[in-house]
Amino acid sequence: MKPDCRIVVTGIGAVSAYGWGVDSLRDGLMSGSTAIGVPTVFDTSEHRTHLAGEVPPVPQPLRSSIRGWDALSRADQFAVAAADEAIRESGLEIRGAPCGVFFGGSTAGMLECEEWYSRLIGARPGRPRLRLLASQQLNGPGDAVARHQRVTGPVQSVSSACASAGLAVGAAVEAIRNRSVDIALAGGSDSLCQLTYGGFNSLRSVDAEPCRPFKLDRAGLSLGEGAGVLVLESLDHAHNRRARPLAEVLGYGASCDAHHMTAPHPQGDGILRASEIALADAGLRPDEVTFINSHGTGTTHNDPAECRAYQRLFDSHLAMIPVTATKASIGHVLGAAGALEAVATVLAFRDSVIHPSPGEQPGDAELGIDLVVGSARRLEGRPVALSTNLAFGGANVAIVMQSWAGSGS
Amino acid sequence: MIGQPRMVVTGLGVVDANAWGASEAADSFAHPDPRPIAVDRSSGYHRKNGSSQALLVDTTPQSNWLSPLAARRMSAVSRFAVCAAKMAIKDAGLDPGAIGSETAVVVSTAYGAANISEQILRQSFLDGPTALSPALFTESVASAPAAQIALNCGARGANVTVTQSQAGPAVALVQSLNELRTGRSERVLIAAADEMTPLMHAILDRFLALARPDDHGAERARPFDRDRTGWLAAEGATVAVLELESTARDRGAPILAEVMAAGNAFDPWSPRSGWSRNPGTLARSLSRFLRENDRTPADIDILVSGACGHRGADRLDGGLLTTIWQGAVLPPVLAPAAVSGAHGGSLLAGSILAASGKDFGPTPGFENADPELGVVPHDGRKLPSPDCVLLTTCAAGGAAGWALFGQGDRCN
Repeated sequence: MKPDCRIVVTGIGAVSAYGWGVDSLRDGLMSGSTAIGVPTVFDTSEHRTHLAGEVPPVPQPLRSSIRGWDALSRADQFAVAAADEAIRESGLEIRGAPCGVFFGGSTAGMLECEEWYSRLIGARPGRPRLRLLASQQLNGPGDAVARHQRVTGPVQSVSSACASAGLAVGAAVEAIRNRSVDIALAGGSDSLCQLTYGGFNSLRSVDAEPCRPFKLDRAGLSLGEGAGVLVLESLDHAHNRRARPLAEVLGYGASCDAHHMTAPHPQGDGILRASEIALADAGLRPDEVTFINSHGTGTTHNDPAECRAYQRLFDSHLAMIPVTATKASIGHVLGAAGALEAVATVLAFRDSVIHPSPGEQPGDAELGIDLVVGSARRLEGRPVALSTNLAFGGANVAIVMQSWAGSGS
Repeated sequence: MIGQPRMVVTGLGVVDANAWGASEAADSFAHPDPRPIAVDRSSGYHRKNGSSQALLVDTTPQSNWLSPLAARRMSAVSRFAVCAAKMAIKDAGLDPGAIGSETAVVVSTAYGAANISEQILRQSFLDGPTALSPALFTESVASAPAAQIALNCGARGANVTVTQSQAGPAVALVQSLNELRTGRSERVLIAAADEMTPLMHAILDRFLALARPDDHGAERARPFDRDRTGWLAAEGATVAVLELESTARDRGAPILAEVMAAGNAFDPWSPRSGWSRNPGTLARSLSRFLRENDRTPADIDILVSGACGHRGADRLDGGLLTTIWQGAVLPPVLAPAAVSGAHGGSLLAGSILAASGKDFGPTPGFENADPELGVVPHDGRKLPSPDCVLLTTCAAGGAAGWALFGQGDRCN
């Protein structure tokens, strides 16, 4: 049954390896060059690889504009800044409004926790001060956004590895549909930390070069950091306040492979099921999808499994669907990936172009997808996008969104 | 809510310091005798003269539910969660081989696999990052317990891990009810799971969160007591099988309790690592929740509180209740954390067992009412047969959650 409550995106915010703000993300993605480089947030010299998509230093005016900035963890800072931007764009006044926060993340204040722990065990000099642990819990970024925006409605933090932010968007959609809230700040935030950097390297899942999802010479992922936030509201609410929607969220779906802790089901069973549920929720057929913002990590296991799912879902129509892989540009932002990829999708709608994957090399022909490389691709009409995320432990999520421009709705 | 399909609990699994199974958990609440044991302080993480005890799980019965081969790949919290899930599935009379794609898993955890995360950091900082074990890393994610439940029980529906501190179980209920209400899942394995490691214990103690030893060296939670000093650190997992009432009826399943509604809210004026002194914001949200679900305080037969013995937490929990009840006599107030310690599983199990009509003994540790709070927890008298049980829980940092449970018999 198609829900009777339509949900629109009226604001977006982003912090990524390209910089602070949506404009930096848009310009970076459209440039076709990767933001993945040598990180400075910690020393990688003893690690197996030495690259990541690190967020550049915060501009001083932004830092000064957010109260209590220095007390926030790095992941909290990303979250608060991205939420601020998204709300500003939406034109909303959150305080006192029936608003909720739905936020995904996988490590929260782990970077600061590492500093504390290394001092505790004497691996680094200095006192292990408790303030370093103040945002250690995984609900830190979502709570920080709620506190900063004076939200009194529901706050839900999701930590389902790389599916976290996508699942948070799903929870936000459900909360609006069932009238728990009129407005939802949905997103995710994660910062680089040694636990994930060392962990993915121990799995030998990290490419020594910037990652190249879906390309023939792909050799693993690149880690990244950042935050993405969407302001979601019911269409009625947006209309009543004369807001201009950027996109519509048509549906979402979730599933679990129940197959392996780190490897996806080789035939893409789980992500296929999540995508089918999302399309059914949206009331659309697969052949109505006009582009895919893929999970696209660049690992040996992920890319073939994901493409197998697309082949099964779209059959011959797959050849006509451009596929983009945002992680090639900004790295894998883990728990925030779904949020930043959703922001990138909204940007594609807004500007009627799909950003390219960095590098001229075409996609691996065996995968059977039309990877956008080299230069941006025009989007015609009122495109529909499928955005997917697959996670450790087999959790999958898919979101279906549609451009708003020109709809006459 | 009126007009919504009814959702019920048909199976319960509990692993904690007192119990391996729902009936043992019920016994532990009926005859409370919490026996915290010494925490390993050999790493030197703890402060001097701080807390030294916790309610830790005796893992001896684990092999009844989990093979050593499967267990060796899991963190403690994943093992607790998987064992409790298998118990719940059995309790619900479900065929373990037929769980499938219609079953979602929703897990609440505050700390996830804390021990594994610490091992990784220790290896990284002392032996270098190339010494890290890949097997450890895969279990370090907060969603590992949810993933392990799915893997070991074949649950291929949505798999969601909620991390909202003490409010987590209520938020997980919100997520679970949405899964069922929208028809996305036929059933949900809802869980609350956490492990208590020496490092986590030391951190909580450094934040002055834990009960301090009394003159006799005993550490007790003492919710709502005038002289409470903190909570009892604890670990364990509770898993419940949630289904639509119609589905449960169709298969003739026993119904333990109804979950009528769940909600959550936030107090943005709360300190980041503590509890607000003013319950007003959350009280307005809880009032609205009751109103939207056509309930008044007079309809509540039993309260299940997240009160844990922490001075600030109980002040807010108590203030929330007295604000809502506006001077009227409170119904019996249960504080499961006094029995099985402060972990989400304790709250979830306590709520479901209270709604299913189980007896609860006197609140351990409670001696003198705190005049500032005006809340006296349950004294062990016979509880009323509950038509409506209200769970409330307030987390450090501002989050809070609540849920309404009804007695299972009513559904039969």
